[in-house]
Amino acid sequence: MGSKFLNKLLLIAGFASLAHAAFSAAHHRTYLRLTEQEWTSLPLDIILQTVISLVVVVYNIIQIVGNFKEIRATVDMQQKTWDTLGNFPSFYTFNHRGRALSPGYKPPRLNEPDAQQ
Amino acid sequence: MSLNYEEMSWSDVRDQFRKWREESGRHSEDVVQLWVAVLEDKVHKTGNERHLILEQVIVAALDTARFDIATKCTKQLSAEFPGSLRVMKFKAMRLEALEQYDAANEVLDAIIEKDETNAAPRKRKIAIMKARGLRLDAIKELNAYLKKFMSDQEAWQELCNLYLAEGEFGKAAFCMEEVLLHNPHSHLIHQRLADIRYTMGGVENIEIARTYYSQAIKLNPHNLRALYGLFLCCSYLANSKAVSLKRKESQKLAQWALEQAMEHTARHSSIDNNDKWIASLDSAFGNLEIKSN
Repeated sequence: MGSKFLNKLLLIAGFASLAHAAFSAAHHRTYLRLTEQEWTSLPLDIILQTVISLVVVVYNIIQIVGNFKEIRATVDMQQKTWDTLGNFPSFYTFNHRGRALSPGYKPPRLNEPDAQQ
Repeated sequence: MSLNYEEMSWSDVRDQFRKWREESGRHSEDVVQLWVAVLEDKVHKTGNERHLILEQVIVAALDTARFDIATKCTKQLSAEFPGSLRVMKFKAMRLEALEQYDAANEVLDAIIEKDETNAAPRKRKIAIMKARGLRLDAIKELNAYLKKFMSDQEAWQELCNLYLAEGEFGKAAFCMEEVLLHNPHSHLIHQRLADIRYTMGGVENIEIARTYYSQAIKLNPHNLRALYGLFLCCSYLANSKAVSLKRKESQKLAQWALEQAMEHTARHSSIDNNDKWIASLDSAFGNLEIKSN
């Protein structure tokens, strides 16, 4: 649970840092326009911040969302047993001996004379 | 029953129910007991899953002949969905559990008339035939059903079971092959098909069984039944009147299967001094061996 909380915190921080990087890039453009300089490229610190926060966000999202599913198709199947695979809910029949265990069960009346007495 | 009701909260029960629903385990008695002990008062908290849980409980209650619970849950559902065909099906199932099969059939026919594409009531009709012991009629009806709904794996497997009960192994094998086409990665289907082929007997069928067992082991190396089946097939083939090269190969494969199986059982065994017991059993069976003159 603790590491999940940390992941969430890091995810929020990563998104904030990503937004901050975008804001810095826009700010840099306006600064260049005001000082009438030529546009070459973004400064290195903004590029680094973008890349690092992107990696942080991707990693933490993967940690939070859940576990990976096995890529090999057979691994899922290996866990199954015939007990569950050979059981078909839509073909259940209810007239089995298990119903005699129910509290409201009335045994069928027998036609033999001594059973009726 | 290893579950302790006292210690389970309603969310644990919900997760347990979900697990049973997804893997289609029967567990009817457990479901009813947990429902009464824990979930009945808390079911409104489960949100959208509530309807699925109610359906599960209805089936479980009918299975354990607790009609009071089944009626209560059906009433809840029909109050929410008046005139729903799905709820009507549960009413038919209740009649079926009460052994009023004709009345149940009437309800199911009414559902089919309203919605011809609905597969569930048709399956229930087949289940009723099964409950009445009319296995041949059930087979006929299921064949007719499969002509309309060809991709229904459950129905193919059920038809396979019905054929097996009738001793028609060839037809059962055909049904299982059909299921195999739907899940080619399932080791259990391979194993089942191999079981049927082995039961049919004869060198040709046992060779086919050997192939399917091998595929099952390839898909899941821990499948003990398939390992033992492979061993039986190979030892049969090793003693048959085949070419000596083939016989030798079978013998080698049988040896391998036996070793693998022994390795698995030794790892999972919880008995102390297992080897000693096995050795004494071996010698006991060795003395029992029938010597033919």
